[in-house]
Amino acid sequence: MSGVIKKDESGVYQRVVLKNAAPYHYVNVCLVLEDESTKLSAVEFKQFITSGLKSLYGEVGAALAFDVLKYNEDKRTALLRVNSRGLVKLWSSLTLLGSYQNQACAFRVLQVSPYLLALTGNSRELQLD
Amino acid sequence: MSVDVSHAPRSVLVCDRSSFLDEKNRISSQLQQLHFNYKVSLLLPECSSAPSHLDSVLKSFSSFYLIRNMPIYELLDKHFLETAVYQGSVSGLSHRTRIDEENCVALMPNGRLCLSLDKHSFQVLGVEGKPSKFNHKTKNRFVVSVDLTDSSMAPGGRGYVRLLTGLRSRLHLRTDFLLSHHPGGGASLQHLLSRYDWSEHRPEISSRVLTDLSCPALLSSDPQPGDAHSFLEWLGAVDADISCENSSSSFMSSLVCPEPKTMLDKALSVSVCGLLRPQDVHRLVQQLRRHLEQPGPAPWASLTVHGFVDSPVSWGDGEHGVLIGGENFYNLLMFQDHTYHLHLATGSHDPCPQ
Repeated sequence: MSGVIKKDESGVYQRVVLKNAAPYHYVNVCLVLEDESTKLSAVEFKQFITSGLKSLYGEVGAALAFDVLKYNEDKRTALLRVNSRGLVKLWSSLTLLGSYQNQACAFRVLQVSPYLLALTGNSRELQLD
Repeated sequence: MSVDVSHAPRSVLVCDRSSFLDEKNRISSQLQQLHFNYKVSLLLPECSSAPSHLDSVLKSFSSFYLIRNMPIYELLDKHFLETAVYQGSVSGLSHRTRIDEENCVALMPNGRLCLSLDKHSFQVLGVEGKPSKFNHKTKNRFVVSVDLTDSSMAPGGRGYVRLLTGLRSRLHLRTDFLLSHHPGGGASLQHLLSRYDWSEHRPEISSRVLTDLSCPALLSSDPQPGDAHSFLEWLGAVDADISCENSSSSFMSSLVCPEPKTMLDKALSVSVCGLLRPQDVHRLVQQLRRHLEQPGPAPWASLTVHGFVDSPVSWGDGEHGVLIGGENFYNLLMFQDHTYHLHLATGSHDPCPQ
């Protein structure tokens, strides 16, 4: 993290530039299952991701703190929050999670950002037809 | 070989603080920096319905056009140049093209045409350009930027003929295209629209009333610029309808509202989506200032403007791209005493906003 502070003489104007200072990253994910009718509760969803972290990174991975900020049980989409230092670990274990209870599955990472606000204004979701 | 996996991609957040009363404030020019705005969202505390003057501004946002499968050389049509581009009344952006994998086109209000092309398309087009700043090592994306108002680009000129031939005979670039224009400037587009499948769209407005909302104490605590990330996180949680009422031991989420906090009885969240002109956003800011001047319980107002993820330009003429996310947005937090906090946020493939 680094910051550059400029202040004018009157003290009214102040500019601070924060580089790579985001404490968290936010990930919008969707779990695609072979059997569409399978139901997953929010707790099972989080547990499943933790199991993926454990299988790839061991106990250290399983201890990685991340939050499920919002979960849609019908669409199996979720907003995750993870410490910026843990983003690559979380993302890679999501990618390598290939089966849920003996059925093929895949995590689609829809959007990743250091700002939660950016996830609410994704222009790729603009539908005009 | 071990690889350090703890580094997240680059991001920049600029925090400006100034006052509307300060003669040197640059807020107007800063708001004009994002030419292609996708979403504007407002958060008004202690408000349950939009005041009529704000409501009328929100409803008066200009409509925009979607032209389906338009050849890009149509933007060089002589009639279109004379009636729309030279007047500075039109801007546009390719729609449903992803800048990290496809060709993207933007027509800026100052008459500059910007093409972000993959290597093959760039070589086929045969027009001068430069490698994208963000992958200068691999050189697999190129940017062609031409000023259509320049004398060399006048219809019939050498530069004009070269670009027109490249787009028409060699590259055959066609995309869905979004166009917005000055209010009342629609007539100048009829000649273009009549030849393609098109539709006119109004910006979509949606609003929500929030009750019993925990909110950072913005007035009493004087938040420091270093707290900007936690403020923006809270704002994102409000926008995405995420609960901040968690305890630190909660299994699912430990997201909480930044301390110190207060409780808002009610708040109004309004959002507008579409291709929105910066001038309309500017009018909205003026109305918000008037709203704050009126005696009432509203101590502050927040406005967030998201740029298009796949725009080839952002923050003025700067090149824009997508690495993990193409975020380019700003948040303006305005107070009753005319001071404001402006947060300009960018992702990995963006210049630093000025």
